[in-house]
Amino acid sequence: MSFRAPGFPRAGLGILVGVGLAYAIVCSVRALYGWDPVVDGDAVLQVALIAAPLGFLIGLGAFDYWFRWAIGAPTLPEDHSGHGARSWKDYFRVNTDHKVIGVQYMVTSFVFLGIGGMFAMLVRAELAQPGMQFVDPNAFNGLFSVHASVLIFLFIIPVFAGIANYVLPLMIGAPDMAFPRLNALSFWLLPVAGVMMLLSFLAPGGAFATGWTAYAPLSTEAPIGQVFFTIGVQFAGASSIATALNFLVTIVTMRAPGMSFFRMPLLVWANFATSLLVVIATPFVAASQFFVLLDRALGFNFFNAAKGGDVLMYQHVFWFYSHPAVYIMMLPGFGIISEIIAVKARKPIFGYRMMAFSLLAIVVLGFTVWAHHMFVSGMQEWIRVPMMITTAVIAVPTGIKIFSWLATLWRGVLHLDTPMLFALGFLTMFTLGGISGVTLAMVPFDIHVSDTYYIVAHIHYVLFGGSLFTIFAGVYYWFPKITGRMYDERLGRWHFWTTFVAFNCTFAPMHLIGIEGMPRRVADYAETFAGWNLFISIASFVVGLSTLIFVYNMVTSWRAGVRAPANPWRAMTLEWQVSSPPPIFNFDTIPTVVGGPYEYGVPGAVHGVFKDAEVKTTATPAGAAPAGD
Amino acid sequence: MEAAALPIHDHHGPPPANQSARVQPQVLGMLLFIISEVMVFGAFFTAYFFIRVVTGDSWPGEGDHLPKAIAGVNTAILLSSSLTMHWTVEATIKGNRAGMKAGIVTTFLLGVTFLFIQINEYVHVGFAPSDSAQASVFYGLTGLHGAHVFVGLLLLLFVLIRVFRGHFSPQAHRGLEVPGIYWHFVDVMWVIVYVTVYLL
Repeated sequence: MSFRAPGFPRAGLGILVGVGLAYAIVCSVRALYGWDPVVDGDAVLQVALIAAPLGFLIGLGAFDYWFRWAIGAPTLPEDHSGHGARSWKDYFRVNTDHKVIGVQYMVTSFVFLGIGGMFAMLVRAELAQPGMQFVDPNAFNGLFSVHASVLIFLFIIPVFAGIANYVLPLMIGAPDMAFPRLNALSFWLLPVAGVMMLLSFLAPGGAFATGWTAYAPLSTEAPIGQVFFTIGVQFAGASSIATALNFLVTIVTMRAPGMSFFRMPLLVWANFATSLLVVIATPFVAASQFFVLLDRALGFNFFNAAKGGDVLMYQHVFWFYSHPAVYIMMLPGFGIISEIIAVKARKPIFGYRMMAFSLLAIVVLGFTVWAHHMFVSGMQEWIRVPMMITTAVIAVPTGIKIFSWLATLWRGVLHLDTPMLFALGFLTMFTLGGISGVTLAMVPFDIHVSDTYYIVAHIHYVLFGGSLFTIFAGVYYWFPKITGRMYDERLGRWHFWTTFVAFNCTFAPMHLIGIEGMPRRVADYAETFAGWNLFISIASFVVGLSTLIFVYNMVTSWRAGVRAPANPWRAMTLEWQVSSPPPIFNFDTIPTVVGGPYEYGVPGAVHGVFKDAEVKTTATPAGAAPAGD
Repeated sequence: MEAAALPIHDHHGPPPANQSARVQPQVLGMLLFIISEVMVFGAFFTAYFFIRVVTGDSWPGEGDHLPKAIAGVNTAILLSSSLTMHWTVEATIKGNRAGMKAGIVTTFLLGVTFLFIQINEYVHVGFAPSDSAQASVFYGLTGLHGAHVFVGLLLLLFVLIRVFRGHFSPQAHRGLEVPGIYWHFVDVMWVIVYVTVYLL
């Protein structure tokens, strides 16, 4: 065990140093100003929540290269020896290989799915019967708040980043991402954010209990557990901004020769659009939490109405991020579905260009609809109708995608295996969620069902039936490429059907009890809703159990599944033209792209070819700072 | 990375990628980062808009005064640091090492002066962030900008150290150019902050 070399021992030391520094800074500042008491626990905790994670990252070695670079010292030539993983231990290091980082992302976020799902089970256990059984109301509020925050910020957003991290460079013919070290840092910011949110349960006063929206002034008055959310979101947000920037630069500057924008697979397009949203929108959620932190820690008055603050401003800033965020949580899934449906229907994707343009249309329109979350907030009434119209309009590009997928399926030769089942499950469930979304855009109806279980039903139809189904589809689809082994098809189908049925039993009845007026985010409810709630709770436990089939399938198949061929799905995109798993730097020679990515069923059509080694390449080594930096 | 000290092909990095755009990855990355920084400022300006325009309270808060003249001098200091930064890059491209050294030192010192005057202004401005929402917005916007100046100074310090250790040449100066882009952004942002917070 060495405290000098990068790794977990030094990271632990870094945490201790961070906490010590926080203690020293807070106490010396308070002593200097003569404040009483000099040792203030809450103040130390807030500074430590920033300093300790930085200490952890420095200790782990995420900054070693940059420190040497910054002081002009020769950087170590081993800067890329972190490429590839030789044993499981390499997954617990700062590794710059996009394939290793992709797996780190996916495994980490699925662990958080397990934890967040467990919280949902606890919520449903409490709600199985009217009255209070297991937890007190405050703990209940903490459970659903952490459930939502963990699953949004530490599952859906990063797992898409993980899948794209693995396959996107392969799909565009690049040996790695544009900034491999930034990529590694982005990943390690995530467990920091996740562990911080979970630790909030240990804080005095309990976990943050203000929902994932953390509306002010509720969040500025809440107990100290709230700060774990406020600061945790900063780390998760920094991670996603850095990853998005990395994707954009990779897509723009590192495509294979011949791969024009309109020869890119739609997954690449989807991540291009998503990354634009992240780079533009995520700073707003960071700022909204900065405001809360400044109000709480330094006595600012952004949300203190008595001093002229404006609490509605929080909602405007928050939703200006968080509405685009639902597209951040959906567009990469659209990309996955486009890949799978074209391959499994053995047909070219219908309306390729419209699929790409509709993604960009969603990016633009996504910024014009935020106040539909605020119809009952008491904001200026004239904002309502324009927001209602833009919200209805944004269903148009989404509809274009749905109909293009249907047209792709039309008269295709459908291979109904697990990825395709999840893709079709997504198509139906997301359409239902999308339609309930349009109903929610209508101001009168929205006022009626605001803060009821109708909202809970809608969000779970789009995020579970939508995003999570695409994630399962993508994980099954690329499992052979990532692990080099096939998953168990029979278990995969069991997983799909149990999840699909139990999911509908869980969330469909919520529409009904929502319209009848059962409020969300309340630990107790009226007797009239008892029957449906018991049914929902039982169904939700089946959802939880069905996930165990998935976990079992993944673990056993990875350890001892049948060896996968390079291209089990007979797909045309570039990632399937290399071995499973791919070689350490992806391609021995960079492929040349000569046609579209989805020309299935077209005689003689080719997407990429491998020419001889003398193909022209420029002198810029990927990822590494090029010569003469 | 110092090209002279370390032959680039010595490391075990990935093979070269095809370069599919004329823009340099590092420059594009910095520009995208600046877009997200602009949005952070955008959120703070949203707070400014709601508290100054929507709420319609007086600006600055009752009985408070903002030192327009001193901040104006400070604006001039920061803007001239942008000029010296540009001069530094030009000198590097022309191979003028003395000019490069003088330029980077001047830029750094001008930035430090700006930050010093800003902190001095906080001490003497006569109100605290806890006094009113207007004061919160004032400290929020100028403080956010000050934090960016601090980060920019950190980047300039790295460049400065590397300049004096013999890095950069007419052919290889991206490590100087990219922090320079960030520094120009910080300066332009200050002009916007100065106009909206102090002048309007």
